[in-house]
Amino acid sequence: MDPSRYADLFRTESREQLSALNRALLALEQGEAMREPVDAIFRGVHTIKGMSATMGYTAVAEFSHELESLLDKVRTGEQGLTAELMDALFAAADALEDGIEAAREDDALSPAMKRVLERLHDVAGGRATAEFRVARPSEAFRVTSEFSAALGVVDATPAPVGAAASGPTASGPTASGPTAKLRVVQSASTLLPGVRAFMIVQRLRELGEIIASTPSVDVLQAATTPQRFEVHLSTSAGAAELERAVRSAGDVDEVTVALSAIAPTAIAPAAVAAAARPDFRRRVTDVDEGDDLTSTSERATPVAARTRHVRIELSRLDALLDLIGELVIVRGRLGAITRALALPALQEAMTDATRLIGDLQTEIMTSRLVPVGQVFDRFPRLVRDVARQLGKDVLLSIEGKEIELDRSVLDEIAEPVVHLLRNAVDHGLELPEVREATGKPRAGRLTLSAQRDRSSVLVTVRDDGKGIDRARVLTRAIELGMVAPSTVQLDDETLLRCIAQPGLSTAEQVTDVSGRGVGIDAVQSRVRTMGGSLEVSTESGVGTTVTIRLPVTLAIVRALLARVGNERYALPLTHVRETMERMPATIRQVQGRDVLVLRDEVLPVLRLRDVVRLPPGQEPVMEEIVVIERGDRRAGLVVDELTGQEDIVVKSYDAVRDGMALFSGATILSDGAPALIVDVASLL
Amino acid sequence: MAPTVLICDDAIFMRTMVGDILTQAGFEIVGEAETGVQAVEKYRLLRPDLVTMDIVMPDMGGIDAVRAITKLDPNAKVLMCSAMGQQSLVVEAIQAGAKDFVVKPFQPSRVLEAVQRVLG
Repeated sequence: MDPSRYADLFRTESREQLSALNRALLALEQGEAMREPVDAIFRGVHTIKGMSATMGYTAVAEFSHELESLLDKVRTGEQGLTAELMDALFAAADALEDGIEAAREDDALSPAMKRVLERLHDVAGGRATAEFRVARPSEAFRVTSEFSAALGVVDATPAPVGAAASGPTASGPTASGPTAKLRVVQSASTLLPGVRAFMIVQRLRELGEIIASTPSVDVLQAATTPQRFEVHLSTSAGAAELERAVRSAGDVDEVTVALSAIAPTAIAPAAVAAAARPDFRRRVTDVDEGDDLTSTSERATPVAARTRHVRIELSRLDALLDLIGELVIVRGRLGAITRALALPALQEAMTDATRLIGDLQTEIMTSRLVPVGQVFDRFPRLVRDVARQLGKDVLLSIEGKEIELDRSVLDEIAEPVVHLLRNAVDHGLELPEVREATGKPRAGRLTLSAQRDRSSVLVTVRDDGKGIDRARVLTRAIELGMVAPSTVQLDDETLLRCIAQPGLSTAEQVTDVSGRGVGIDAVQSRVRTMGGSLEVSTESGVGTTVTIRLPVTLAIVRALLARVGNERYALPLTHVRETMERMPATIRQVQGRDVLVLRDEVLPVLRLRDVVRLPPGQEPVMEEIVVIERGDRRAGLVVDELTGQEDIVVKSYDAVRDGMALFSGATILSDGAPALIVDVASLL
Repeated sequence: MAPTVLICDDAIFMRTMVGDILTQAGFEIVGEAETGVQAVEKYRLLRPDLVTMDIVMPDMGGIDAVRAITKLDPNAKVLMCSAMGQQSLVVEAIQAGAKDFVVKPFQPSRVLEAVQRVLG
């Protein structure tokens, strides 16, 4: 078997375990009921240990073993939880993560891992038991005695299953009758020899009653090296039967059986009693002995998942998406040809094909949707670390974890959100003393939420910090010539435009005073390349809210096709509110500017022709208007003609990065012609 | 007919590996379980010839699952999968009715030996 086949699986699953582990650590730190998180942490580390040992990743295996031993002490209450220990455990989770990423076969503990282990042991007061090394004979004695000591303090336990009670007599050794003396030698390669020895003893109990065993059964049971031992039992079984029973327990090198018809003279009551006493020193779960399955499963129902899952490599899903994208384009072209040919049979087949391709597209898009929780779950840890580093108290709440986004959108969104969270903790939320002085609770509230809004998803980061200092931003913006010197007040839109300027946002003094700005430009450009938009609202002393609006999927979006002159443009529906034909009365002049009067609203009017800087053409007979919106802002966009709606496949478009803010990408239309995708949000 | 197996482990990694070893040896994997509760439910449904059972699982540990399975079917053949350092737990599992055990990291030959012993 070649374990390298399993390397990917190992990493993927270890990452999942780590993320669950970090969640549990946070829950533990927040003082939630102690047992569940500790159990979850223990299980995660245990699973990683098992997998890494299988892969031959020695460092991770050894590290997780040490960690597991310590956690076991926490679990049993032997080791108390302190703030220092929590910090050390977080550090251990990080070290484990690094270790997993760097894992190689037969590797040794990295210096970082060693440091973390030392710290853990320091904090925990002495070394955790190192059972992983138990296999080494030199340590066997220590462990054995510890094991026996533990046995000594076990409370009275229920009768063992299938042990003494199932023997031929339940009332102690028989006073007379045939006996057998067996000498057993275990194979040198035996793993967990104690268990094998125990199994041998158990098989023998099925054939008779044990009179004595040298060493005693509990010593055998605790053995960590292969044993040679003697068992004396009262039995009427034959030699062959006894030998078969012993061998059936596995890993037996030699068995010799000596039968005797004489009654045993020396009985070792201590050994017998010990043999009958099961080891209940440790339990995996706290399910009571008497519990039946029903009560256990009732307790466990919330976790039970019924759907079946198959793991697929992400690249396969991406390939499927590319293919369906191409197929959608071809479908458009076929549709056009079919309409031109006007053959009823062809049209019918085309209708079916269109429906099937549509269904296929929905299925593929749906299969790519992932709950945002998958990414959001990483953030509590991050916020905690940043807050601790800065000496701030932060209460993070996450809402809408179940909202789904396309995998690729989700991957892209992580970094901007991290930016916003860091900003909020660093520049938005005040220090506890400052908050207290201004009558706020010491702990700042930070909310990260996701919600669905028609065909888009809103991701919001909200803090109750000091807000952005508009006056300072205004001063800087005037200095830098971003706004007219006469400006007296920055509204939210202008404020965002200002702080999203690289020049202003990186200016240190503004960052320090204004409370925000670091990297907003980076966030905005990233969000824009995704076809999304950014909104900011802030109130001095009350807090700041940043909202990212995203399309649910990046790859295929529904768009309006608009013609201006001979050019065609795609307008994604994400920001389109409605469309209308231009009636003479709809556009009016107010103070020399065109405005659109829509019901009781007056909206500014933009002409796509001007926006894309096409030369003025002949005034068309009739124009059409697209009402676009972003947040509360709306405008009318005048185009020569709307030629239809189409699912477009977004191709990334490098020019966007160079500051060509107007277009968010390019696409191939169903007739094969290329078209630019207008970033409607940027027009507002 | 190939002997049927139910694999119980909370790690996909481990299930895949055990599954590969047993499939190559001609067994038919009829089910997988991620928790003790699932293991018992699937045992009830599938009645496999062999069960491989991890000790540490969420929901209900492997030992309690063995206990429940043995109660359902006294002849159930359960093979425990253990990590190093779980000696006392394996003993407990055997007392609970498991027939044999293997130790992680798995060596295919050892897994198959244990399986042969269990199936007799």
